[in-house]
Amino acid sequence: MPVQQSVWPLGIRHHGPGSARSVAHALDELGPDLVLVEGAPELDQVVGLLGDPEMRPPVAGLVYAVDEPRRSLFYPLASFSPEWVAVRWALAHDVPVRFADLPVTHQLADPPEGDQTAPGHGPRPDPIGLLAAAAGYDDPERWWEDAVEHRSSSSLERFAAVSEAMAAVRETDDRPPDDGDVVENARREAAMRRAVRTALKEGFERVAFVCGAYHAPALDPATYPPVARDTDLLKNLPRTKVAATWAPWTSGRLALSSGYGAGVTSPGWYQHLFDHWSRDEDPGSPDDSLATTWLVRVARELRGQQLDASTASIVEASRLATTLAAVRGRPSVGLSELDDAAESVLCEGSRVPLRLVHDSLVVGHELGAVPDGAPMVPLAADLARQQRSVRLKPEASSQMVVLDLRRPGQLARSVLLHRLRLLGVDWGAGADAGGTTGTFKEAWDLEWRPELAVSVIEAGLYGTTIQSAASAKVAEQAERSEDLATLARLVGACLVADLPDGLVPVVASLEERTAQQHDVLAMLNAVEPLARTIRYGDVRGVDVAGVASVLRALVVRAAVGLPAACNALDDDAASAVRTGIEGADRGVSLLDDEQLRERWTAGLVAVAARDGVHGSVAGRVDRLLLDAGRLDQSDAAARMSRRLSVGAPAADGAAWLDGFLAGESVLLIHDPALLPIVDAWVAGIAEHVFEDLLPLLRRTFSRHQPPERRSIAEQVRRLSGGSGPVRAEESAYDLELAMPAVERVAALLGWGVTRD
Amino acid sequence: MSDPSTATSPDVLRAHAEQQYAAELAALDVADDRPRPPSWRLSPWAVSLYVLGGQLPDGTAIEPKYIGSRRLVEIAIATLATDRALLLLGVPGTAKTWLGEHLAAAISGSSTLVVQGTAGTAEEALRYGWNYARLLADGPSRAAMVPSPVMRAMETGALVRVEELTRIPADVQDALISILSEKSLSVPELDEQVQAKPGFNVIATANNRDKGVNELSSALRRRVNTVVLPLPDTLEEEVEIVRGRVSAIGASLSLPPDLESLSEVQRVVQVFRELRSGVTTDRRTTVKSPTATLSTAEAISVLTNGVALAAHFGDGTVRAADVAAGLLGAVVKDPVQDRIVWQEYLETVVRDRREWNDLYRACRELG
Repeated sequence: MPVQQSVWPLGIRHHGPGSARSVAHALDELGPDLVLVEGAPELDQVVGLLGDPEMRPPVAGLVYAVDEPRRSLFYPLASFSPEWVAVRWALAHDVPVRFADLPVTHQLADPPEGDQTAPGHGPRPDPIGLLAAAAGYDDPERWWEDAVEHRSSSSLERFAAVSEAMAAVRETDDRPPDDGDVVENARREAAMRRAVRTALKEGFERVAFVCGAYHAPALDPATYPPVARDTDLLKNLPRTKVAATWAPWTSGRLALSSGYGAGVTSPGWYQHLFDHWSRDEDPGSPDDSLATTWLVRVARELRGQQLDASTASIVEASRLATTLAAVRGRPSVGLSELDDAAESVLCEGSRVPLRLVHDSLVVGHELGAVPDGAPMVPLAADLARQQRSVRLKPEASSQMVVLDLRRPGQLARSVLLHRLRLLGVDWGAGADAGGTTGTFKEAWDLEWRPELAVSVIEAGLYGTTIQSAASAKVAEQAERSEDLATLARLVGACLVADLPDGLVPVVASLEERTAQQHDVLAMLNAVEPLARTIRYGDVRGVDVAGVASVLRALVVRAAVGLPAACNALDDDAASAVRTGIEGADRGVSLLDDEQLRERWTAGLVAVAARDGVHGSVAGRVDRLLLDAGRLDQSDAAARMSRRLSVGAPAADGAAWLDGFLAGESVLLIHDPALLPIVDAWVAGIAEHVFEDLLPLLRRTFSRHQPPERRSIAEQVRRLSGGSGPVRAEESAYDLELAMPAVERVAALLGWGVTRD
Repeated sequence: MSDPSTATSPDVLRAHAEQQYAAELAALDVADDRPRPPSWRLSPWAVSLYVLGGQLPDGTAIEPKYIGSRRLVEIAIATLATDRALLLLGVPGTAKTWLGEHLAAAISGSSTLVVQGTAGTAEEALRYGWNYARLLADGPSRAAMVPSPVMRAMETGALVRVEELTRIPADVQDALISILSEKSLSVPELDEQVQAKPGFNVIATANNRDKGVNELSSALRRRVNTVVLPLPDTLEEEVEIVRGRVSAIGASLSLPPDLESLSEVQRVVQVFRELRSGVTTDRRTTVKSPTATLSTAEAISVLTNGVALAAHFGDGTVRAADVAAGLLGAVVKDPVQDRIVWQEYLETVVRDRREWNDLYRACRELG
C-alpha cells in the first residue's frame, strides 16, 4: 500500500444538490484517474450511455431479474444527483468510471435456507438525524443544508470533515452484529472495498469514491479490515441472472410520496438550487437572487392560476424570507422560509393557493429520456414487437382509429390496446364509434405521450410480455378488490383484452366475494357484465364454465334478497335499485338458461307482490313481468288501477307510472285497457297536486319519440269522445311511402308478398 | 405576594405586558448579543425567545407567552423587521391581541400605542385630531394638534397596534394605506409631513368569523403580511394555555384558588373542543356544534368565573357546579337551537362518562 493517499471517499447526501456541487468541485480539485460511484456494478455495462446527448435526466438505473422482472431495483438519478454529476464528469474528462456496491444479483436472489439476514430486522439508525439532533436541529435535512451544503469552503476538506463526523455517528451504533441491516451493510461495504482493492491493484493512483456519507469512513484504506474477512462476507451468496438498463423517470417519481421514490420531497426546488449554483459560481451574494428567482417563479405560477401576485409583492416576500432566515439563525434562505414568505405575502396567510403551485414548482414536471440505443426492458421490447406486428405506430399527435373487430388484424390491435389500458399505459382512450350500436366496432383516440415510457417501465414489473404482465396485474387487482362490481368489470376487461389466464383468478375471487356479499345492489350490478362474458366469451375462446357457475349463484342470491332490498327506499336509492334490476334483467335475458330465468322471475314476482315498495321500482318490476309474460294484460290493468286509485298518494302513482312506462311506449297505444286508467287518473288528480306532478309526468312521457307521443295523444282524444280518426296508426304512417321497405323486409324474411 | 406582576404594579387590575414581564425583558436585554434592527429593544431572536419561552444562558427562565406554532411567530417577527405591516388573522379567542401586545412590548418596549377599532372609529384616530380650543384661539399649529397613536408611533419609531381592523369602516381603513406604503403622514393644514422613523410598524388584528365586519380592501391587503393564528392543535396544548391564563388572571384578581385541583380545566377544554369539532375525543360519537365560537378565550373566562365562584361562595376548590353555569352560558348563545345541542351533548356524551357524573348532575340542575 502506497504511503500517500490514494483513495478519496466523497461522502454525499443522495440527491443533494449541494453535494452534487461539492462533488464537481472536488473532482476538479482532485483530478482522479478513476471514479467509483456507489451503485449496482451491473450498471457498468450501460454506464457509457449516460454520456449520450440524448440521455436526459431524471433517469433511473434499472436492474431486474431476467426471469422474474418483479424483482428489480431502481437507482433514480436527477441532474442534481451527485452520482449523475460524478459520472458525467468522468465521461467528459475521459476518466474511467465504475459502479461499486453489493451486486444486485445477490440482492434479488432468494436468500438460502436458514439465512438470518432477511431485511427489516432492526431500525436503521439515521446517521444524519443523529448528527442533526446533536446540533439542535429538529429536521435533519435542514441541518445538512446549513452545515454542509450551504457552506462554501474547500470541497475536499469538507468531505474529510463529513467522513470524520460519520465515523463518530457509526460508533454510536450499538445494534447486534447479526441484525439484518448491519449484516447487509457490512456486505455492501465489503463489496465496495473489494472494488477499491481491485482498482488499486490495476494501478490506479488517485481514486475518487462517490458514496453515501454513511459509508465514507469505511472506505478509507487506513481502516480496511484484512482481505480475508471481506472475502468471507461475500462468499456463497445466492445469485440470480439479472440485466441492467436505464429507464426514463419523472420528477414526481423522485418525490417521497410515490412508489420507488428516491426520498426527495422537493425535486423542483433542488433543481432550482442546482441550476442556480451551476449558473452563478460567484460566491459573493448568491442567496438573494436565489430567493428572488424562486419567488418570481412562484408568482408566475400563481398568476397562471388567476391569482394576483404583483412584482412589488415578490420584492416584499423575498425580503421577508431573508429576514426569516436571519430570525431562525440560518446562513441562507431555505425552502421553508420561501414557502412561509409566499404564504404570508402572496397568499394572504392561506396555504391553499400554495398547494396549487406545489406540484408544478416544488415537485416539477421534468420528464427524462433515454437514447434509443439503451437496452429495453423485456416488456418494452415486447411492446415494440407487438406494435410492429399489428402495425400500430406510436405517434405523438392525437389520432382517431376505428377498428372493425370482425377482422383478425384489427381485433389484434384492439386486444393490444385493451391490455395496455389494463397495465396503466393509457396510449388509447375509448372514443365514440359514432352512429352504430353494433358491438363489432370500436373507436380509439390514440396519443403516445412521453411519460407513457415510464408507465411501461412500471408495468414491466408485472411480467416480460404484454400478455403475461396484464394477466398478472389483473390477478393482483382481483386479489385486492372487495367490490363485486369492480370484479365484474375486471371480468369484462379480461374478455376484451383476451386474457384467459387473467380470468381464472378473477373468477375465483369473484366466487369468494359473492359468498360473502350481502349487498343485493352490488350483486345486481355484477350480473350484466358476467352475463355478457358468458354470452360472448366462448366466441373468443374463453372458458366460461367457471363464470357460469358463479353467475348462477349470484342471480339466485340476488333474486332471494331482492324483495327485502326493495323495502323502504328513498328516491335516490330507488333509482339505483331500479337501474340494478334493469341491468340484471338484461343480463339474465342474454343467457339461454330457462331455469335461471325462472328463479330470477320468481324474485321479481315476490317484489311485485309486496306493498310498500317504492313506486318507481314496483312499476318497473310490473312492466318487466308483463313483458316476460308473467302478468297478463288484465292483471296489469288491475295493478295500474290500484296504484293510480284515489287512495294512493298521487306522487307514488306518478313514480309507478314512470317505472311502468319507461322503455317502449307501444303498450299504451295498443292496449285498450291501460290508457283509460291513466286518463281517468290524470283527470282525477286535484289541481294543486297536479302542479307538483306535472314535471314528473312530463319527464315520463317525454322519453318517448314524437310520433309515439302523437299517437298517444290521438288515442286520448278518441277516449274523450272526440271525433278523431278511428285508427290512429293510419294517420301516423304513410303506407304508400313505407311499401317498398315493407316489401323488402318481407322478401328478406322469405315471405311471398304481392302488392295488391 | 411573590408574583412579579403584582409586585411591580399592585394598583392596576391588569398590568401592561412590558410592566408584567419587565424582569424577563431586562434579562433578555442583557443576554441578547445579536444585532438589533433600528429602534428595536431586542434582536429578533430574543423577541422569539420572549414570546415562545425558554431559558437564557444565565439560567433565567422565560415564560412562554404564546403556545403554538413556532413557525408563525417567526414569520410575525420577521415581518415586523421588514417594512411591511403585520396582520394577525384568526377566529375569536386565538390570542391575536395577546400576541400583538407582547410583540409590541418586546420590540418597542411599550404596548400602549393602540387604536381600538370599532364601527365608530374615525379618521382622527388613525391620523390626527385638533384641540379645538387652541385651534380657535391660535389657529392651526403643532401645539393645537392631537396626534393619534399611529402618528406618535411614526415620530418615535415604535410599533402601533390597530385592534379589530375589520370593524373599522372601509373609508377609515383606507387612511392606513398611504401610511403603510409611503411611511409618511401629510398634515395639509400645516403644510408639513410627518415621516416615520425606522422601527415604525403596524400590528393589526382582525377576526375572520364575526359577522357584520368590513372586508379589508385589497389595496390594504397588499400592504400587509398575513399570519393566520389557528386554534390550538391538541387537547394538552389548549389545557396548558387555559391553565396558565386562569392562574395569572386569578392572581391579579387576588383570588386564592387551589391551582392543583384545576382538573376542571381539562374537562372544560375537552367539552369546548368536542363541541367545536363536532366529534368526541375518542372519535366514536358525532355531536352537533352550537353557533357559539367556543374559543380558548371563552374557556378561560368560564374557568375564571368558576374560580371566582369557588373563592367567594364555596370552599375555594373549583368543582363541577362552579363551572356548569359558565359552560351553559358559553355554549348556549341561541336560546332555541343551542339549547337542543347542549341537551343532546349532555345526554349522549357527558352522561355516559362515569367520572363526569358530578358535571352531568350540576348541568342538569341548571336545566
